[in-house]
Amino acid sequence: MEEMDLPQMKKEVESLKYQLAFKREKSSKTVTDLVKWIEDGVPEDPFLNPELMKNNPWVEKGKCILL
Amino acid sequence: MGEMEQLRKEAESLKDQITAARKAVQDSTLQEAAAGITVVGRIQMKTRKTLRGHLAKIYAMHWSTDSKLCVSASQDGKLIVWDSITTNKVNAIPLKSSWVMTCAYAPSGNLVACGGLDNMCSIYNLKGKDGNVKVMRELAAHTGYLSCCRFISDTEIITSSGDCTCILWDIETGTQKTVFAGHQGDCMSLAVAPDFKFFISGACDFTAKLWDIREGTCRQTFGGHESDVNAIGFFPNGNAVITGSDDATCKLFDLRADQELITYQDSSIMCGVTSLAPSLSGRLLLAGYDDFNVNIWDMLKAERVGKYMWKLYIPLENGRKVDPAEDSEGSCRVAAGTEH
Repeated sequence: MEEMDLPQMKKEVESLKYQLAFKREKSSKTVTDLVKWIEDGVPEDPFLNPELMKNNPWVEKGKCILL
Repeated sequence: MGEMEQLRKEAESLKDQITAARKAVQDSTLQEAAAGITVVGRIQMKTRKTLRGHLAKIYAMHWSTDSKLCVSASQDGKLIVWDSITTNKVNAIPLKSSWVMTCAYAPSGNLVACGGLDNMCSIYNLKGKDGNVKVMRELAAHTGYLSCCRFISDTEIITSSGDCTCILWDIETGTQKTVFAGHQGDCMSLAVAPDFKFFISGACDFTAKLWDIREGTCRQTFGGHESDVNAIGFFPNGNAVITGSDDATCKLFDLRADQELITYQDSSIMCGVTSLAPSLSGRLLLAGYDDFNVNIWDMLKAERVGKYMWKLYIPLENGRKVDPAEDSEGSCRVAAGTEH
């Protein structure tokens, strides 16, 4: 990793001040939202639903393909 | 105290304050929220297609937004655009420099880009008038290798480099719009947010940074990895970031609460992560490793639910694919796809 020079160090301090000011939300809310978003999407996720995989375009339909 | 010493102390103090601010909002964990959820069943994958044609290591590939076409870059000096369903080569583009490390497909499907040890990002127009694919622009300014590039549109592209910076380019004029500086090590990869307002970068300073594309600022920095961050991606809804590192782990970071949620690791895995992609729902994480394995993780329970050798298949999902760690056979495998 590189050693910073003076101008870089000043920029780093400015950046850290900016990052500190970020409005953080409570993880109880954000994590619950994340889990819900995943659970809502699972029924449409082909990897988790064999039914959906039946429409898989990469499965060979027959022996020959008309190009 | 010298100015440098003062600044160093100020930086340390700010970092401590950020740590405290993160703790202050940590009133729950992912483990708690997912406690009542059962681990998904074992995931089985099958090789569906093998795309043969490259004559040397394939370093990168990227899907088109239609999830049918994809582009791959090999150190045989070629960029190949494939129709993954028929396995036909749509274009085989000879490169000026064969030391290519990354490639990208524009969302429109009109352009592809690549770059590597030439320190440049070359843009190719696939839809030129006479049908020939030609270099449209050569974006030169980085003082280090090009590790990754991703299009925002046909007129803008973001690049990450071994010179520790990322750059937003105006493709038409070939000039730099914004330089994103702040990483203290080589930038290894980048990913653009689903809303195109932000992008994330992973670097050899062991951190990932979230950047505001229009403001040019770093909004958040995520530490925790113990080695280079090689791979990075957004969680499908854009509210979280997934990283893969040489420390053999992947991590999930919550953007809204500004903190690490969970680590995907196993004592039996001792090699670095080279690429990753979440499934459509975000429930699964597919990660490629240096030992040529792809591990599939249940993202909520942090348990491995599948493991496959690259020789069997490389899973792809939602228009993304897990790159083979190093495909030394010169062929690129794509399998068991999905539709949007």
